[in-house]
Formats: sequence, C-alpha cells, structure tokens
Amino acid sequence: MAKWFESHLPKIVLAPSFIAVLIFVYGFIGWTAWVSLTRSRLLPKYEIEGFIQYERLFDSPRWDTAITNLYIFGGLYIGISMVLGLILAILLDQNIRTEGAIRTIYLYPMALSMIVTGTAWKWILNPGLGVQNMVQGWGFENFTFDWLVNPDRAIYAIILAAIWQSSGFVMALFLAGLRSVDTEIIRAAQVDGIPTWRVYTAIIIPSMAPIFLSAFIVLAHLAIKSFDLVIALTGGGPGYATDLPATYMYAMAFSRGDIGQAASSAMIMMLVVFAIIVPYLYSELRVTKHD
Amino acid sequence: MARAVTTQRKAINTLIAWIVGLLIFFPILWIFILSFHSEGDAIKSPLEVITSTWTFESYATVQERSNYFRHFWNSVVISVGSTVLGLIIAVPSAWAMAFVPGKRTKDVLMWMLSTKMLPPVGVLLPIYLICQNLGLLDTRIALVFILMMINLPIIIWMLYTYFREIPGEILEAARMDGASLREEVIYVLLPMAVPGIASTLLLNIILAWNEAFWTLTLTAAKAAPLTAFIASYSSPEGLFYAKLSAASIMAIAPILIMGWFSQKQLVRGLTFGAVK
Repeated sequence: MAKWFESHLPKIVLAPSFIAVLIFVYGFIGWTAWVSLTRSRLLPKYEIEGFIQYERLFDSPRWDTAITNLYIFGGLYIGISMVLGLILAILLDQNIRTEGAIRTIYLYPMALSMIVTGTAWKWILNPGLGVQNMVQGWGFENFTFDWLVNPDRAIYAIILAAIWQSSGFVMALFLAGLRSVDTEIIRAAQVDGIPTWRVYTAIIIPSMAPIFLSAFIVLAHLAIKSFDLVIALTGGGPGYATDLPATYMYAMAFSRGDIGQAASSAMIMMLVVFAIIVPYLYSELRVTKHD
Repeated sequence: MARAVTTQRKAINTLIAWIVGLLIFFPILWIFILSFHSEGDAIKSPLEVITSTWTFESYATVQERSNYFRHFWNSVVISVGSTVLGLIIAVPSAWAMAFVPGKRTKDVLMWMLSTKMLPPVGVLLPIYLICQNLGLLDTRIALVFILMMINLPIIIWMLYTYFREIPGEILEAARMDGASLREEVIYVLLPMAVPGIASTLLLNIILAWNEAFWTLTLTAAKAAPLTAFIASYSSPEGLFYAKLSAASIMAIAPILIMGWFSQKQLVRGLTFGAVK
C-alpha cells in the first residue's frame, strides 16, 4: 500500500489542480456556450434555440462599435508597445548604471492596477485640467486635447494609457532577449567594424524572433481581455464610444439583464483568443518535443 | 548584449534612462501630489497645484466618509487568502511536475497556463449565478476561492520554473542516504524552495490585489476590496480628484514599497519567469 502510494504520489498531488482547472474553466465555458444558444434574458434558460443570440449580436450597433474599437485598440496598442518596448530595452542594454532601479520603475505601471492609476490619467487627459489646460495657459489658446471626452477620440485616450502601462513590461521581455543573444557573434561583428545600428538590425533583432512572437501573444490576449482600463477612464462612454468586447459583455450581464447576449459575446471573445493561442501552443509544444 | 562603452556615453545613457523613468513614473507621482491637496486646489493648473497648501485633509475625509480601512482589510484578506490557498494546492502539483516529470507533463503545464489567457467573461455567468444561489455574492470567501482558481495556473507555472532550478542530484543523494520521502521534502526540498515560493507569493498577492474584473462583478459595499471601492468612487467626470487620489495612494503604496524591496522577484514575476 505504502509503495503504491509513493509511486503514484505525483499523479495524486497533481490531480486536484488538474480537475479544478478542468471543471472551473472548461465546464463553465461549456455552460456559457450552451446558454448562448438559448433565448435567455434575465434568467438562464436551457432549451436550445439555435444561433438567435449571435444574430442579435451581429445586428447590434453597440457590438459593432466594440469590435471596431478592439481592432483599433489592439493594432495600435500592440504595435506601439512593442516598438517603445524595444527602444527602451536597447537603451537599458547600453551598460548603464543603476539598471535594476530603472527597470523596476519602468515596470511599476504594470504592477499597479489601472483602476487606481486611471485617477492620474483622468486628470491629465481632462481638457479643463491637464495637458489642454496647461498648454492653453502657455498662450496657445487654440490648442485642444479633448480625446477623453470626444466620442471619436476617446478610444485613443485609452490606448495612450494602455501603452504607458505595458511598454515597460515589453521592455523587460525584450531585454531578456537581447541578453540571450550570443555575444561571440556580436564581438565578431564589432571586430569587423560593422556599425552598432547594423549589428542590431541585422543580427540581434532577427535572432529575437521567438520573443517578438511571445510578446505579441501576451499583448494580444491582454488587448482582448481589456476591461479595467475602460472602466477606470471612461466607463465605456461617452455613450458607448469606448466599449470593448469585455465591457459590452459586462453591460449586457449586469445593467441590461440580457444573459443571452452576454453569453454569446463571451463566446465570440473566447473563439478569438483560441484562434490566437492554439496555433501558438501547438508550435511551442512541437518545438519542445523535437528537443 | 552588454557592451563596453566609454564612461561619458555611459553617463549620458544613464541620464536618458532616468529621464524616461521619470516620465513613466510621472502619473504615479501626480496622484501622490494631488492627494495632499484640498479638492479645490486639485483642479487648478499644475504649477498652482504644487504651490498651493499641502494638507492631509483628503485622507481624513476618505476614511471618515467611507471607512477606507474596511476596504483595505478586504483587499488584504482576499489577496493573501487566495494566494496562500493557491500555494497549498500548487506546491505539491508543481513539485510533482518538476521532479517526477511524465511524458505529458509539459503538455499539462502548457494547457494549464493557456487557460489563464482565456478571457474571464467566458466563466463569469455561471460563477455569478452559483454565488447568487449559494448566497455568496459580496462575500470575501467567494473572492478568495475564485481568485485562487483564476491564478492557480500562474502559481503552478511560477513554482515549476523555480523548482526546476533545484538540482535533482541533491534529492537523489538524500534518498541514497536513506531519507524518506517526508524527510526529503522537509529537510532538503523546502529550504531550497523557499525563495521561489516567496517570489510566487509576492507576484500573486500583487495580481490578486490589482484584480478588478472579479471584484467589480462579485462585490458591492460589504466585501469590496480597494479596486472595487475606488472604481465606485470615481465617476466618469472624476469630480473628486483629491479624495480619489488619496484613496488611490493607499491602494498602490503597499505594492510600490514591496516591489522596491524585492525588485528581482517583481521583475521575474511580472514577466512570468522570462527575466531572471
């Protein structure tokens, strides 16, 4: 008995985590998928009726706005965060002093909740107080910076705060990548008199391709899940101009009492995340198997 | 690529890096500055804000009006509770995967980690309804349990990467010397695992402390931690900047301070082990 116990112990201790994740994640997603196929409104119903909730969803102008916002947000947020992150990483890689402290400061925005740091951003972006007010005070009376309250621009205000939050994080990922590049090759290139910028563009950055992919995956899933950022800065407003899929789902579930719509929008988000991470995980696993 | 550069270039680069750091830190600093002014002074122009009288009145008002410390305590209970509970479940799992890896260990690990990437909206409805049926809405115990489940994959992953760094030969040597499994775990493994467990603890407290999606959806006045409290305090127009800032500072100060004194763990944790 004791012998059996010892040899099976690894499986026994792993089981609770495994089962917990299985039920908690896939069981509950299954429930959501089921309900998304019913006529549920205020209360969940369980008779399957087909894809009516999805038809309603795609007819909804509000969902349309949320998806358009997600494209704009995702594209700019991922692109700019990666470029800034790379620049910061190269800067920190120049053998500078007090690197540990600087790295920590760059990472602070990521370590703090956007709900909380949103307070500062609301002040800075408020036309009557922050940047607009300050520049006007310098004598540029016609200067306007009203992104936060302008329905056409509010999403860009959110993107600005999102980039602030993530750039340092991307920097840390890229810095690890820069440090893992084989120093022999770099030294050889320098001996040959190749200029530093060429060393970066031709040798170092291409060899970091896997890290670019990881950073992209992490940022992409963060973009799709974005929630607290919008809640903190605009609450989805003005109107629903800054709704993202997660806030749409939240509004349907809690202020509209429309469980069917909430479930179907959640399922669409699920599918998008699956579409991004499944190929990634598949390629990761294949690589490790070849080792 | 750590390269040799001249002292002068090094000084200039360091200066640039600090200027960027100041820019990044500015919004946090600004919350701090706003929190020490009266509501009327907090809506003046930046220079006037700094030069107007500094006062503690916003902190006093926040505490007086909304029992701030109750929410602070909720945050502590929820983040520490869910982390400790998660560690109790995760330590044996991560240990099993790191030291007795099977054929599928890597797959299981990747699969668990992938679930952390899924949007929480996919499981929100059933969890909300279960909590409602069990009368657990707006209770700390529900959040402790849910945040534990949500962060479990991260906890296991972090512990696994740390445990992997412990040389297996030491365990083998202990076994050869006749140590039982129990002794092996208590006298050999645990002392070497403590730093990793501590980092995981720190990261998870931060994640749970910052959690907004679940705290906003599952709590109201009673069990609301700081994130939910601050979100309820702020209107889209943001009318109470000084009080909001005071509440915000008390919510971020613990993390700023903890993070500063454990920089390595913070960086490694936030990058999920990518940066050592």
